Amino acid sequence: MKKIFNIYTSAFFGLFFVASCSPSLDEFEVRNTSTADFNKYIAIGNSLTAGFADGGLYLSGQQVAFPNLIAAQMQSVGGGTFTSPFFNANQANGSGYLRLDSLVNGRPVTAPVTDNLAIRGLNPNNQPLYTKYEGPEINNYGVPGMRLDLAFAPGVGSPLGNPYFERLLGDNDVQTTYFGYTIVRQHTFFSFWLGNNDVLGYAMNGAVGGTATTTLTDAAVFSALYNRYIDSLTTNDRKGVIATIPDVTSIPFFTTVTQPQLAAAVTEGTRGTPLETDNVLIQTKTGIRLATPEDLFFLTFPRERIEKEGLGIDPRNPIPDNMVLDRDEVAEVLARVQQYNNVIRQVAERRDLALVDVHAFLAQARTGFIYNGIPFSSSFITGNAFSLDGIHLTPIGNAVIANLFIDEINRKYNATIPRVDVTRYRGVQLPNHN
Amino acid sequence: MKRLLLGLLLASPVLVFAQGSVVNTQNQKIVGMAGAGSALFIDEASMVYSPGALAKMDHNAVQVGGNAIMFRSAFQEVGSMDTYRTRSQASTPFAAYATYAPDGAFWRAGLAVYTPFGGGVDWGNNWPGRYELNELSLRAIFIQPTVSFKITDQFSVGGGFIYNVGTVELGRVLPAFNADGSPSTARLTGTGTGTGYTLGAHYHLENEFAFSVTYRSKVVTSLNDGDAEFRVPQSIAGNFPNTKFSSELPLPSSLSVGIAFPVAEKIKMAVDGSIINYNIYEQLAFEYESDRIPNTVSEKNYQKSYTARVGVNYQAKEKLALRAGVGYIRTPVRENFVSPETPDNNRYVLSAGVTYDITPKWELNAAYAFQHILPRTTTNTAINLQGRYETYVHAPGVSVSYKW
Repeated sequence: MKKIFNIYTSAFFGLFFVASCSPSLDEFEVRNTSTADFNKYIAIGNSLTAGFADGGLYLSGQQVAFPNLIAAQMQSVGGGTFTSPFFNANQANGSGYLRLDSLVNGRPVTAPVTDNLAIRGLNPNNQPLYTKYEGPEINNYGVPGMRLDLAFAPGVGSPLGNPYFERLLGDNDVQTTYFGYTIVRQHTFFSFWLGNNDVLGYAMNGAVGGTATTTLTDAAVFSALYNRYIDSLTTNDRKGVIATIPDVTSIPFFTTVTQPQLAAAVTEGTRGTPLETDNVLIQTKTGIRLATPEDLFFLTFPRERIEKEGLGIDPRNPIPDNMVLDRDEVAEVLARVQQYNNVIRQVAERRDLALVDVHAFLAQARTGFIYNGIPFSSSFITGNAFSLDGIHLTPIGNAVIANLFIDEINRKYNATIPRVDVTRYRGVQLPNHN
Repeated sequence: MKRLLLGLLLASPVLVFAQGSVVNTQNQKIVGMAGAGSALFIDEASMVYSPGALAKMDHNAVQVGGNAIMFRSAFQEVGSMDTYRTRSQASTPFAAYATYAPDGAFWRAGLAVYTPFGGGVDWGNNWPGRYELNELSLRAIFIQPTVSFKITDQFSVGGGFIYNVGTVELGRVLPAFNADGSPSTARLTGTGTGTGYTLGAHYHLENEFAFSVTYRSKVVTSLNDGDAEFRVPQSIAGNFPNTKFSSELPLPSSLSVGIAFPVAEKIKMAVDGSIINYNIYEQLAFEYESDRIPNTVSEKNYQKSYTARVGVNYQAKEKLALRAGVGYIRTPVRENFVSPETPDNNRYVLSAGVTYDITPKWELNAAYAFQHILPRTTTNTAINLQGRYETYVHAPGVSVSYKW
């Protein structure tokens, strides 16, 4: 009997011992099946690739740029060191950026951050030049403002050109093109997301071209340059990921200030005057007309000028063409985005590359969805996706985009890059005072 | 900005007395048999497991007991390498009983105070489900006066009135970000009360074959005057006043049957089954007193749960009984409604227990039950969190009875 008792007690304590640990859940399996080599990943692109946010390029934005988040996740599947041209800690605010200063009657008021900047001087046009990057060879080649057409233009890296490209170049290299600068990096894997600015620069100037950064790149030119760029990056069967261009007219920069709001401001401003009216006048390429809800105004629209100067009220003072993307221009821009995306899809197909359809993804964000409990939409501030400039991503937005890229890379190349935990990242910071 | 404020509270809190928090540890003898034995054990804890059997007790008794229940859950987001575990913590359901009847009476009365639902999870501040839940502690204490009558020597019935005091405490984060990038937090605490009843019948044959049936009604617990506390950036604080909230937390009704029969001279076996009507959890509504905090309704869509349990009792010595059991519990939580509060799935129970009669008047019981809530990969409908959960529940417990 004693023996049975002993067996019983040892079984009892044995059960307790075995079970007292918690579950392990090691479902995630790192497989060595990847057909892509992540050892030297380089990221080519514009402000989105650089981590530009809140109207500026600054250290904490650079640190959460989506390629940096992807590279961190690649560490467990053979990714190498990933170096970015970070601003130094004592110049962490880089170009300066916008912060949310207050909410006045629920309306956001921003203020510029002007300390700890990395401005080393001004160019002959009185535009800032930034402290040159000094350090090891970089992997994140994102340059704010970079366009596909300008990637092939010499001189863009000169002090008269793009200061974000200029800060990456040695003094003797300023005539090199962005294309020439990036394709010689002996990469094993690349992400390439250029083309947004080829249409966005035009759209943000009310579809008034005329300068190198506001012109609308011709679709045939886009196709030729895109194919040439990707062909160069994929020599020796190197793999990569490319992405479509989002519907630039659905970002908060264009959707926050609406015609009904401006019409209300007019009603307010003209009440009791001889000019009493209830809509704004806009200058279009075909003449002056009353605005419609399909005409898009900018986030930066100077509302106060309606009342102060009669802007948009007096037929002699309509809202100028470069301050509104009217509905015909919206159609033109959307058609061009579609042409670009057709090119991008064809290239992905032809070179057998992973393709991230950011255009389709952000189309969902128009109506909004919940991502791990975080509302995610293209609403300004409350949508959590876009930063205070209404164009660039918040850290949450970057994390979501990083996961989109990771999913497509994993799918295309049978890889097992772990996903990013989006909930660790923030949206727009709200001020802690009234 | 108005839309932000509406959007923030989209996901309703997950206050449900769900399967995950059913602890069912009111009698260490029954815990030792994985929940079987309602027909077998006739003692003061029969008030809970088989109120009909109470009248068959031949002595008066008081009992106190308690458990240390540890939920150890793990979560892994789909596609992620990181596993998150709940912090180690024990919730401590207890049970206390007193029963009395005059010598030779055909009836017996008693009072039971016990914790049929209670649990706590603490996922910490840094896990991917934190926009739904960081930590939760949930407890229902039932106070149940009970009376039981013998109809014949072999057949008796009983019933009790249940008064419930429920408490809840819940913390989560909100997607409104402070200057340092950290999210806002919300904390809900409340106490509620409700009433219900239990009825049971017990029948046995001379050869010690016994049969028990017990019904426990649902207990709708109304939570009024709960406190909702928000810590948000000052600039939106006006939209998040600390306020009161109310909600209803129904505890499901259940029907349980048990049989017990001898299988050898010193060995008895018990088989129990139950239906728990979790389908009352169709949705869960929260009303906030301040009209600046939108009320929420969330779909729960639970289904009925079934349990099956088998145990054996071995009278090893005159003063020593040993027991063991296995059980299976089918989850009431459908695929897409799994929440971090109770990352539920079908589960197995394994247990062992012991009774030692220290003296004829003093009885000591100890038991240990282990539950394995099987791994489950789901997409949570409230927050779209996609991942895999697995849980171990450890429930050691002891009780002491004094008989006279």
